[in-house]
Amino acid sequence: MRRYNLFYFIGQALHGLFRNGVMTFASIAVLMSCLIVTGGFSLLVLNIDLNLEQFDLLKEIVVFCPPLATEEEVTAVGEQIKKLDNVANVERVTKAEALADVKEESDVYDDVTEEQIQDYMPESFVITYIDNERVSTLDYQLKQIEGIYKVNNRLDLASTIESLKSGVMLIFIWFLAVLMLVSVFIIVNTVKLSVFARRNEISIMRYVGATGWFITLPFIFEGIIIGLIASVAGYFVEWYVYGYIEKMMTTDLQMISIVGFGSISHIVLAAFIGVGVATGIVGSMISLGKYLNK
Amino acid sequence: MIDFVNVKKAYPNGTMALKGVNLHIDDGEFIFIVGHSGAGKTTLMKLLLREEKPSSGKLVVGDYNLTEMSNFKVPYYRRELGVVFQDFRLFPKKTVYENVAFAMEVVGTPKKMIRRRVPAILNTVNLTGKQDSFPHEISGGEQQRVALARALANNPKVIIADEPTGNIDPRMSLEIMNLLVKINKLGKTVIVVTHDKDLVDYHKQRVVMLQEGYIIDDHVGGMFS
Repeated sequence: MRRYNLFYFIGQALHGLFRNGVMTFASIAVLMSCLIVTGGFSLLVLNIDLNLEQFDLLKEIVVFCPPLATEEEVTAVGEQIKKLDNVANVERVTKAEALADVKEESDVYDDVTEEQIQDYMPESFVITYIDNERVSTLDYQLKQIEGIYKVNNRLDLASTIESLKSGVMLIFIWFLAVLMLVSVFIIVNTVKLSVFARRNEISIMRYVGATGWFITLPFIFEGIIIGLIASVAGYFVEWYVYGYIEKMMTTDLQMISIVGFGSISHIVLAAFIGVGVATGIVGSMISLGKYLNK
Repeated sequence: MIDFVNVKKAYPNGTMALKGVNLHIDDGEFIFIVGHSGAGKTTLMKLLLREEKPSSGKLVVGDYNLTEMSNFKVPYYRRELGVVFQDFRLFPKKTVYENVAFAMEVVGTPKKMIRRRVPAILNTVNLTGKQDSFPHEISGGEQQRVALARALANNPKVIIADEPTGNIDPRMSLEIMNLLVKINKLGKTVIVVTHDKDLVDYHKQRVVMLQEGYIIDDHVGGMFS
């Protein structure tokens, strides 16, 4: 006895796919649509994330020392801030730099000299933090440091961004689950039709001693082929549509950053093939469960 | 050797199809299983084909204890059997040759062996020259002979024929039965489930009669009463 080669099973699978041409086409179309929508949604999430990252510039807290604080006191405050957990960077803004900044904003300060501001312009620190979720703790810790008399933060904005991100992710996960379920359902029906069309053949196979795997492999290959065709076709459609949107965005809406398709194309293709083929296999296995054990 | 030891079979709906069957069939025997509808013939067939498991008792076919055998071993057990059905169950789009070769392909027989063996089997069932015909191009009797050839393809030890003459005319029926006798003389155990009284009486082989799930008669020499 010999082991069967792959071509026998692929040949049988292709035969089955052509025999149920309409359902095969429907399965490929539905799975492809699901992949395009899911892929599109993933790319949307990716781009939202990229644009939200720009808000990272807002991940800043400014703390002020009393205007009359000595150099030693200001340095000590700076050291204590650096030791805090959620701090990425601390930048000291001297009185002179602060004056330069305000002079840039308004010409009211044009005639003010450095000596004149010594008593009322405070030294400050611009703190960049790491994690938005822990910003309120940082805010509390800063307020506990002796030598800081004012803390300017943007807690509301940080929390808005966080909830926006998790909202988008939640919708994305639901979308993914529902679309994959629909795809599996359609593939299950296609393979079931194929099994039904070949029930006579299957029953004879069983009586002459074909193993469960021998009977089921062609149908599993049907699922794999459906998944492969749908994912590759879906990839090209996604590429075209995304390319079009990318072009439109970069010319008309320059304020929005967009991830170039070229830099992620291999990930998109791998994900499409992975999800497409896995969906195909799962669909086939569900419709063939009873044959695998007999 | 086939042994039914106090085999009972109850279906989930409560029907008691076999109520304690004891039957011993030696290697190389020819046996008719007869009985009216509902007697338990089909259930007996299903148990032999391991489509169903006995509810109690013990059923052994050769080296296989069907009562305890795991599903994984079923395909390997079935390779020891050749099955012929009343409705032939041939592939309409395969030629006579392909129909027979198919049984060998599914168990992974090398093509070279298939090419050598199929013509020899077709010769045994008197179908030489018909190998390129499709089922619809040959008579019912010839179609049943193709089914018989397919049952022989993997050189099984036991041939089980379920009403093999049910769909063919009487002249052809005799020919099929003669072929089964010929196959039996080649050393194979042949079990024929049938309603055909004339054939049973004509061939004067061992006859086991079932009625309402029991064996009510078991004797040699025909006589379907």
